[in-house]
Amino acid sequence: MRAPAGIALALALAGCNLDNSVGYIEIKALPSSAALALYLDSVRLDPPRNGNALLRQKVGLSKLQTDGEGGYLALLCTIDVKKNRITSVTVSTASRQPRCQCGRTGGTDAGGNRTCVG
Amino acid sequence: MIGSAACNVARIPGLFWAALLGCVLAFGSTAGLAQADKPELRTADEEFSKQLSELKRTFADLSKKFEDSAQTIDRLNSAEAARKEIEELREYVGRLLAAVADNGMVWSLGTKALRRADEKLKALETETRYKEEDRQFLIGRWRELKAATEDAIKELEGARKEFAELLRKLQTNEDFIDELLQIQEHQRAIEVIHGLTDGIRDASDKLKKLLTAIKTPGA
Repeated sequence: MRAPAGIALALALAGCNLDNSVGYIEIKALPSSAALALYLDSVRLDPPRNGNALLRQKVGLSKLQTDGEGGYLALLCTIDVKKNRITSVTVSTASRQPRCQCGRTGGTDAGGNRTCVG
Repeated sequence: MIGSAACNVARIPGLFWAALLGCVLAFGSTAGLAQADKPELRTADEEFSKQLSELKRTFADLSKKFEDSAQTIDRLNSAEAARKEIEELREYVGRLLAAVADNGMVWSLGTKALRRADEKLKALETETRYKEEDRQFLIGRWRELKAATEDAIKELEGARKEFAELLRKLQTNEDFIDELLQIQEHQRAIEVIHGLTDGIRDASDKLKKLLTAIKTPGA
């Protein structure tokens, strides 16, 4: 009886995510006047005031995206949000293709998959 | 069918139900929080002023906590204990940032209050029901309210920048202390920790200044 009860408890606890930890993402637009549509995990962000935005975000990986071709979202970078830490990202539109510049990058980036860490 | 379902339910261990109840209670509490985020009874500007007053109380509390923390860190001789203290400080700074973040409650209410002031002013410009002097009085009051809201938002914007810098400083120092501990440089780690106290005291002073600088619109 004990084993099934333990399994049931584990399943029930796994089913409800009690971790409400949050961290912060600072997005800087370069140049600050750049009008670029940004999405954080598909949620469209308000244009940053004075080119700066600070967002509270659940701990974990979040995708920073922009409008891509054919109505799809194009991934700029992945942001690793850590509890009570701030991850800084600069979105540069100096070149034709908008790019993410991380304050600090993850050590395991491959190709275009850039991960910014806090 | 119903009978068999009831029978199956009866077989589910009590612990499962206890855990499920825990889930429901936890969800209930977060749902309650989400509801508290939505101003229902008050208008956006009233709610913004209320939240701003609460934020100022938080600033006062945290300013005191920062001072206490600076004193504690000054006396610390253990790098591990200092790391704990810094972690706690990050939590405090996080609370401030949560309030003033773009998707935070105070900030959202501030922008809503501004939008409302703009809408009211636009509506009053074309209002024909009131006497001209009454209409001008209302326009004047809404302009004052809008200016006060803009000032408060500007102060919050400044606060946000300061808190973000402080959080960055704390986490960078924490990482550096970690690196030092990995190479057994305890003394150097303690020097870095003691060097942090000026920054923390400075944050406390800035919070105190903010308390006097932020005026609650309509108060």
